[in-house]
Amino acid sequence: MTDKTPRDRGAPPPRSKAPLWFLLPVPALLLWGWVLRAAPEELLAPALAAGVLTAALLTVCAALLARYARTVHRLRNRIDAISAQGTSLAERDLPRAVTRLREGASAERVLHGLPRVEHPAGQAVLELVVAEISRAERRRAATVTACATAAGRIQAMTTTMLADLRAMQDDHGDGTAGADVLGDLMHLDHAVAQTGRTADSIAVLTGARSGRRWSRAIPLESVVRGAMGRIGGYQRVRLHHVPAQAVAGFAAEGIIHALAELLDNAAKFSPPTAEVHVHVEEVQAGLAVMVEDGGLVMGEEALRRARETVDRGLDIGAISGTRLGLSVVGLIARRYELSVSFRPSSRGGTAVVLLVPRPLLKPLDTGPPQASAPAAPPLPAQSPAPSDPGTQTAPQPHTQQPPPPPPVSQTDAPPGPADRPAAEETDTPPRHASGLPMRRRGRTLAATQRPEPGPTTPGPTTSARGFGAFRSAVRGQEPTGPPKDDQ
Amino acid sequence: MTRSHRDESPDRLHVITGGRSSGADGALDAVTLVVAESAPAPGMQSEHAAILRLCRSPTAVVEVAAHLGLPVTVVRILLTDLIDTGQVTARHPVSAPSRTHPFASPDVLEKVLVALHNL
Repeated sequence: MTDKTPRDRGAPPPRSKAPLWFLLPVPALLLWGWVLRAAPEELLAPALAAGVLTAALLTVCAALLARYARTVHRLRNRIDAISAQGTSLAERDLPRAVTRLREGASAERVLHGLPRVEHPAGQAVLELVVAEISRAERRRAATVTACATAAGRIQAMTTTMLADLRAMQDDHGDGTAGADVLGDLMHLDHAVAQTGRTADSIAVLTGARSGRRWSRAIPLESVVRGAMGRIGGYQRVRLHHVPAQAVAGFAAEGIIHALAELLDNAAKFSPPTAEVHVHVEEVQAGLAVMVEDGGLVMGEEALRRARETVDRGLDIGAISGTRLGLSVVGLIARRYELSVSFRPSSRGGTAVVLLVPRPLLKPLDTGPPQASAPAAPPLPAQSPAPSDPGTQTAPQPHTQQPPPPPPVSQTDAPPGPADRPAAEETDTPPRHASGLPMRRRGRTLAATQRPEPGPTTPGPTTSARGFGAFRSAVRGQEPTGPPKDDQ
Repeated sequence: MTRSHRDESPDRLHVITGGRSSGADGALDAVTLVVAESAPAPGMQSEHAAILRLCRSPTAVVEVAAHLGLPVTVVRILLTDLIDTGQVTARHPVSAPSRTHPFASPDVLEKVLVALHNL
């Protein structure tokens, strides 16, 4: 017995690998063989029994240990697998699922696309999360759509109301007695215009368009004044010299709206007596509209926040309840590629510069003189217009705004390779390539329009001849007679 | 008075007049003739410039209103601005005694009234 206890103690060491435990009884067997040989005869039987018992115990121990080791190994593998799955779920699958849900995929489809989580609880959590996000996303989309629809209706009503109000103002503004009514109508007009701006803001934030579309280019002065008309403190806004430019119809409403928001900010954040100045300046890239107020100087932090708000895309969660304006400006700026910059103003307040890119601009055609002589000026103004865009596609000529100089530069000396083709295009109507006369886009239209005054002179002769024929036909049968003879 | 969709403009009347609906010179009525005294300056409001261009020769207020497409009251306010700065002068019509109403002037009527009282 005494010599077997040390063997027992020595057994535990090889614990690392399962098969090693089966070597455990081996030294015991060796020891046992030596004991059997060395032991005296009378002790042989008990030694034999004790040895067999110990060997059996050791074997059982070894088997148990091996089993535990296998179990531990399997469990560790499983834990590793589960933690790997958890990591990939958190880092890859869930974000992808959220993106797909945001894109409008249904919860079932998203779950189908994801690898299945082995653990049922994990799978349940995943399903719950996906279903919940999907529901939230649907709710959000429904809310946004409802807002957009409501805003669209208000926009439509506002547009109708503004048109009606203008008609009423025209009606009542003609009589001398109507001054009071006109004043009230103007007051209403102002209120409705502000309501319209709010509806426009909601529409833009929900991804819809600003109110209406203009079917023609809008002169810059009207753009700025249109923006002024939509804010509360428009009487404090001073508009300085405005270049003779117009904004393309499709972008005009957006720019009016963005400008209205900027003007509103400037008017709101400056003392009620301070004026807000609007300067418009032509620059290389387009047109810079500067809104300058004399209010509080925005600190660096506030400027940074304003820039961030404008730069950030649509993130409804990040919009604060009270400062919708700059987010709206940011969204519109992104849509029309306007650039908005903030800086401290020399007047003590803040200056915001809205840069309208050149492709959105058009030269102001026959702006104010249309009233004095509506017939004469449009023709000369229209005829140069077709010759410019004639050789190129429609939108580009506006980017190459300096066409007026080319004819001059061509007569002087063609300075660069870039200028030469432009000059040629503007001045070589008869033949362009292979010596053949080339027709220009717009030229035929101009030709058909120009002769129109001309034909009026031959017109009378033909009509007189016609009348003569008619008269002779009515009077006597002579003219109708000869044809019959001919036949 | 319905305006076509195409003629609409983002300008609102309250912005054009700077929020005023009255304050026009009372002597300006619809048929007053106005004449421009100067050429339009570069930084001017476009309506003012258009008025100055229109009124190179004497033009009636209604005519100006019709050309600008604005209500007469608004045009009167704009004209008052120009008159105040001396860029436009108004010529008020003087009713000449016509053959049918030779004594229509208030002075004559007053004299007649006084004479009747004295009888």
